[in-house]
Amino acid sequence: MSFFLLRRTGGLVLTLLAISIVVFAVMNVLPGDPALTILGIDATDDARAALRVQLGLDDPAPVRYVQWIAGIARGDFGTSYSFGVPVAGLIAERLPLTLSLALSGTLLTLVIALAAGLYSASRHGRTGDWAVMILSQLGIAIPAFWLAILLVLLFAVNLRWFPPGGFPGWSDPLGSLRSLVLPTIALAAVQGAVLARVTRSSALEVMRLDFVRTARATGLSPARVLWRHVLPNALVPVITIVGMQFAGVVTGTIVIENVFYLPGLGRLIFQSIANRDIITVQALVLMVAAVVVLANFAVDVAYALIDPRLKARLA
Amino acid sequence: MRRFPVNLVLGAALAGSVTLVALLSFIWTPYDHAAIAVTNKFASPSFAHWLGTDQLGRDVVSQLMVAARNSMIVAFVSVVLGGGIGIVLGVYASARGGWVENLIMRVSDLSLAFPALLFAIMLAAVFGPSLQNTVIAIAFINIPIFARISRGAANQVWTREFMLAGQAAGMGRMTLTFDHVMPNIAAAIIVQATIEFAVALLAEAALSYLGLGAQPPAPSWGRMLSDAQTLLYLAPQLAIYPGLCIVISVLGFGLLGDSIRDLSDPRLRRER
Amino acid sequence: MLDVSNLSVRFGDAYALRDASLTVHPGDRIGVVGESGSGKSMLAQALMGMVPESASMSGILKIDGTEMTRATEAQWRALRARRVAMIFQEPLAALNPLRRVGTTVMEPLRTHLGLSRTQARARTLDLFEEVGLPDPEQRLAAYPHELSGGQRQRVLIALALACDPKLLIADEPTTALDAEVAQRITDLLVRLSRDRAMALMIISHDLQVVARATRQLLVMYGGDIVERGETRKILSAPFHPYTRGLLAARPRPQLARPVPGTKRPRLPTIPGHIPALVDLPAGCRFSGRCPAELSRCRTTRSTEFRTGTGLAACHLLNPAERSKS
Repeated sequence: MSFFLLRRTGGLVLTLLAISIVVFAVMNVLPGDPALTILGIDATDDARAALRVQLGLDDPAPVRYVQWIAGIARGDFGTSYSFGVPVAGLIAERLPLTLSLALSGTLLTLVIALAAGLYSASRHGRTGDWAVMILSQLGIAIPAFWLAILLVLLFAVNLRWFPPGGFPGWSDPLGSLRSLVLPTIALAAVQGAVLARVTRSSALEVMRLDFVRTARATGLSPARVLWRHVLPNALVPVITIVGMQFAGVVTGTIVIENVFYLPGLGRLIFQSIANRDIITVQALVLMVAAVVVLANFAVDVAYALIDPRLKARLA
Repeated sequence: MRRFPVNLVLGAALAGSVTLVALLSFIWTPYDHAAIAVTNKFASPSFAHWLGTDQLGRDVVSQLMVAARNSMIVAFVSVVLGGGIGIVLGVYASARGGWVENLIMRVSDLSLAFPALLFAIMLAAVFGPSLQNTVIAIAFINIPIFARISRGAANQVWTREFMLAGQAAGMGRMTLTFDHVMPNIAAAIIVQATIEFAVALLAEAALSYLGLGAQPPAPSWGRMLSDAQTLLYLAPQLAIYPGLCIVISVLGFGLLGDSIRDLSDPRLRRER
Repeated sequence: MLDVSNLSVRFGDAYALRDASLTVHPGDRIGVVGESGSGKSMLAQALMGMVPESASMSGILKIDGTEMTRATEAQWRALRARRVAMIFQEPLAALNPLRRVGTTVMEPLRTHLGLSRTQARARTLDLFEEVGLPDPEQRLAAYPHELSGGQRQRVLIALALACDPKLLIADEPTTALDAEVAQRITDLLVRLSRDRAMALMIISHDLQVVARATRQLLVMYGGDIVERGETRKILSAPFHPYTRGLLAARPRPQLARPVPGTKRPRLPTIPGHIPALVDLPAGCRFSGRCPAELSRCRTTRSTEFRTGTGLAACHLLNPAERSKS
């Protein structure tokens, strides 16, 4: 187990470094002058040169890269060009919202996928199965942001059950929860549709295995066989896809935050793009990519925890 | 045992009609899609304007048609571009083997961690949002996908006997790649391209919704939706049509790709 | 406790089991032999109420006096494990790989018998002891992949015994095991049947296992029971041409005798191959492969006649036929 973890952690660090190089290269080596974008074309050459020195842009790119990474290692992501405050602070302020949305979205995705997928598998070839499959095919084709708009139209504009967007702040817990309901549904419905198919086919495969027959021969109820015996064994491929989909959940969160005007990292990215705040965008992009990579890492470790056979092999 | 291929027929019908409408928009739209008529804004559907007009009195049907064309061009160019680079990388990796193959595959695994949206965000931050950046971003995510699939398919071809025979006859690996590998992996690639085309349509819609894609006045379904979102209380119907267009085209090409894959080779089904 | 008459399982027009009749009393030990496709596994599934959904059952199947042919799934569930239990061929595949075997065995104890966790644990330990698992305490926490093949089969037997069934059906219980372990498992099944006065039905293509463990024997072919009687007697003096072929085909050919009325030499294998269910002849299922076939065999099915050793369904035994020839 420890060797496995060690090797995977090594790979993780290398991957993160590689990603940071790519991000830095795209944002800094490509032509473009942050001083020009910040000050505008009316500024004098002197003013721009002064700003470049102030931002540390006169150093060669490799030096700036090392400084950037060293700063991140200390928790210093640099100072935002447009807000004039540390980027780390900006992130810390908005992270809880994005994290809650991503987590609640993933949770609801799993609930939808497992319930629909298992139901569909247990009704294999019958009407219920068909209905779920048609719904999920539709769900895969629906853009999350359009579903979000439809939800706003129905539940906010017409029924007025939930706010159409915005966030009251965590000091109002009930209001915060209410404003996260529609974004969570929009995020989870589409991801859940994809995952429901995976769950169904995985469960169908498990249901053909001998131990399911043993469980039936033991007189266990179909529900018990399904949830206690089929589900755990069907989970491994499902978790793989959850890991692969996590990139989708994260970008989905960025999109959904913009649909609902939620002040999270996704909004921050777009504000920073509008402000040409390269250092902030750079930090955020790196963070999001890192989250995706970390999620895949977590999935690998989760396998070993679920499957005792794997655990034995890794020991 | 073979049932009527519902998915294939439905997918072909949907994808075909979207393509026809997009092509039609080159020669005919009911109105000039950009013609503004402020006196006739938010018109209800009528014989003159089948789906009504928007906040500037522009004809919705005309805009949807031109947007279909734009989306499909973006999706097509980016899949061809990214797919082309990916196929070259994948086939080359398979032909060379060894550390070259390893390196190419490692890098492509790495870039899978990079969603199209992030790439588009970076490009937009450096160069400002534009249609080209959308194309580049979507093309970029297609590179590793096609590199993987063409390498996998090519590796299978390399194990076949006629390949050994060819090598024994002194043919170069590149010649063999062009003469034998490419024709044999074409089917798998076409199937994947159809599916990725659907994914690209979806990505284009999301990027243009976020304002990273096509800039005004070029119409796009995504931007029509973000405009309509600000007018939900005034004209909720405007938020329906572009979304339906996206669903129909994504569903059409997705179903088409999936069902061709299932028909041509059931074994491929489990690979994604 | 089990009373079966004219039980059939059909897929459309194809019979997987045709008019099977048998009675099982407590403590009986019955062997069922036949090649794959003979219907022996379908008989076992029918007795568990676990025939595939696409199949239809007809006839009479009484378990403890209750007619079960048209029983619902819920009614069957009440009988499984408590009246009739079953163990399977491939003990590794038959155990949930993600569960500790203790949990697996405790599950029916808790859900069916309503035992508490500690009670179920104590009971499981007793069962493990009874089936001869070494170090029962440690085995509770083991995963299936950590056990040997014989130990896994013992776990499955313990699971089957959990709710004190009256009949234990063992479907090829030793096929996946090596010879020595197979013998010990066979002996264990016999001992359990004696100790618990529990009926035992062993389905096997391995005649040695059946000879060692059972007192009565059913020989099946193409969905029919073709011969039945005392195991020892049938194995030493088979009557039905199929039984003879089956015995001749096994590694100890000296037990088989040439079929009377034919000039063929002893059969090292049965000629022809087992037909698919839909291609079976309407009369005797064995006609077409039978070395002693009569003209009516193909179209008419024989009733069961007394042989020296039991009963066999074969026209050769019909006194009317005998007088003709």
